[in-house]
Amino acid sequence: MDPRLNMQQQRRAAAAGGSPALTGAQSRRRKLPPRPADYKVQVIIIGSRGVGKTSLMERFTDDTFCEACKSTVGVDFKIKTVELRGKKIRLQIWDTAGQERFNSITSAYYRGAKGIILVYDITKQETFDDLPKWMKMIDKYASEDAELLLVGNKLDCETDRIISRQQGERFASRISGMRFCEASAKDNFNVDEIFLKLVNDILNKLPLDSPSRELCSSILSLQPEPEVPPELPPPRLRCC
Amino acid sequence: MESSDHEVCPSEGCKDRVGLVSEDGKNSKSVVCQRCSSKVLSPGSAQFTEKELFLPFMRKKTGIVEAKGIVDGDTLTAHWLVDDMYTFENVGFTKDVGKVKYLICADCEIGPIGWHCLDDKKSFYVALERVSHV
Repeated sequence: MDPRLNMQQQRRAAAAGGSPALTGAQSRRRKLPPRPADYKVQVIIIGSRGVGKTSLMERFTDDTFCEACKSTVGVDFKIKTVELRGKKIRLQIWDTAGQERFNSITSAYYRGAKGIILVYDITKQETFDDLPKWMKMIDKYASEDAELLLVGNKLDCETDRIISRQQGERFASRISGMRFCEASAKDNFNVDEIFLKLVNDILNKLPLDSPSRELCSSILSLQPEPEVPPELPPPRLRCC
Repeated sequence: MESSDHEVCPSEGCKDRVGLVSEDGKNSKSVVCQRCSSKVLSPGSAQFTEKELFLPFMRKKTGIVEAKGIVDGDTLTAHWLVDDMYTFENVGFTKDVGKVKYLICADCEIGPIGWHCLDDKKSFYVALERVSHV
């Protein structure tokens, strides 16, 4: 079993101190406690409008989350767990859809990100031409050691391809440490691999032998822009 | 808010619950998506709690009778409660609906399976009836 378990168990028990019924009962448990994550990593997905950022995070199945709700509400972010090299990593994945204008994405999104996925559409020249502008945003706001991954999306539309694979590769090769791949979020081709690849790079930069640093690895919060009041209608109106 | 010491079971499914809640009030099984089996919570990671929460139905829109814009849903009482979103193995959060974020399956996005209020940053609820236990 994992040697870190005991330490994590204690940490967990301490963290759960808010629930009074917990602490005493926990020591009586026969079962091993769930193994908490070794690392928590924030990842953001950026790119111009319509490149498929959201579909990299969502799967767009037909009859998911009550359709009407989904179109009005939408997915904000996801927690996903991946295991890599024996480590359990919780990813908090944000997608910036709907805020594509370069200056409208606040620095808050970038600040805590350990991984940045920059997406363009292989069938749309302008989304590729926008890449330098996105890089400016990254240079300005993101942490220097954030891992960068360039994704040419919509590989399922190969017949409409305008940006060659080589063009994408060339762009990425000019930026130090930037990786590149092509993907199709529509049929999920390469999507899981994208996240694994990014996480692998992030892990390479983290001090793997001292998991206690996990919480320092990034500033994590539910709301990147807590100052913005929610303006969506209350749940009982116009839903479903 | 903490009401795990309730002795009455207002809804059906009480018998099942015995096998789901361990003696310390935690989930004895994995909590997974009813449709795609994506793992939401590991065994022992969430506290059973009772709280009346309204969740819109999970059915697709063709199955929903839209009555004058009123959301069709259930008021559910039995939930798994966690105090840190990183306790979840996989979960999605909707954008804010008022002060609420609904929880959905991270993989197939069925939902809402749970509820989170922005006023209480340490409470994340997953409705027992909206998930499977394996």
